[in-house]
Amino acid sequence: MFLSLKNPYRVLGLVLAVAGALFAPLAYFFIASVPLTAVALSAVMLGFTCLVLANARPYISPEASELILRTGMANTAALLEELGLDRKAVYLPSSMREGQPQALIPLKGDLDLQRIRGKIPGRLIVRYGDRPEDMAIAVTTPVSIDLTKLETVPGPTAPEIESAVTYVLAGLLDLASAVSVDIEGDRITVEVAGARLHYEDIWYYHCLGSPVASIAASISSEAFGRPVRILEESYQHGKSKVLLEVLA
Amino acid sequence: MRIFNRYILILVLTACVINGVLAFLGQTDLSVYFILNTIAYLVVTLLHVYLNPTARRALNGVAVVLFAGFMVIVIVKVVEILS
Repeated sequence: MFLSLKNPYRVLGLVLAVAGALFAPLAYFFIASVPLTAVALSAVMLGFTCLVLANARPYISPEASELILRTGMANTAALLEELGLDRKAVYLPSSMREGQPQALIPLKGDLDLQRIRGKIPGRLIVRYGDRPEDMAIAVTTPVSIDLTKLETVPGPTAPEIESAVTYVLAGLLDLASAVSVDIEGDRITVEVAGARLHYEDIWYYHCLGSPVASIAASISSEAFGRPVRILEESYQHGKSKVLLEVLA
Repeated sequence: MRIFNRYILILVLTACVINGVLAFLGQTDLSVYFILNTIAYLVVTLLHVYLNPTARRALNGVAVVLFAGFMVIVIVKVVEILS
């Protein structure tokens, strides 16, 4: 497994480490050049860095991950379209669900948060209030699983949310280059630079938002411990702008 | 994998700049090259705090080895000065 040369980082690491290790004594003892020896040592350092990064790459290829993501989205979109649900989803924190944050899409009318009694059960079709029409569909969002990888739950401040969203989008999922968050009252503006999955005018995105917006909404909801809704999403000049509303 | 590529590219550029500048200045002490390259490595790795936990753990292993080498050089220099 370790010697498999299909991984480009492993090939680069082996070449740099071996070449550097062989060239360093040559440069130092025979050529008597300290700068060339330093270059060889740098190559060894970079080689080992590439080797350890090769082992840190995800087991599933990006192509397979994208295929699984698109399949999941297509299935959810088909379900929403078939049921004729076109309302914006409300992202709930894990404290309101059984363990993980999820998004609720009301089956009829708008979601009346005042009617929510206790924790919503972990099922697909859920009853959140006492009235017969207080029914909704609970959907697992991309960050529902990845939120467990956050070392600490962020607090309700812009820097903490920004740090958590950047960690998930740029570090864990490699879906964006940089994130900035601004909070004004109950509105949160998230700007994502270099987003790889930006907004498209399709049913799924209209209800749940793009995966990037969905992640930002889930993290913000968890940070505030309150439901969050995606109000607006736009993509301009290589930047995705997401406007979120923290609900009471 | 773009974040990994960016990280490696920054390390390569930093090493090239450090080695180039020191060579241009006529530095002939190998330990100076090693110390500066190690410091640059630690700083660049620290700045990439958003790498995934597996990668960070692995890079910390390399950083510990480099830091040990750095400390050996410092101790040898201190001993030289004291004696």
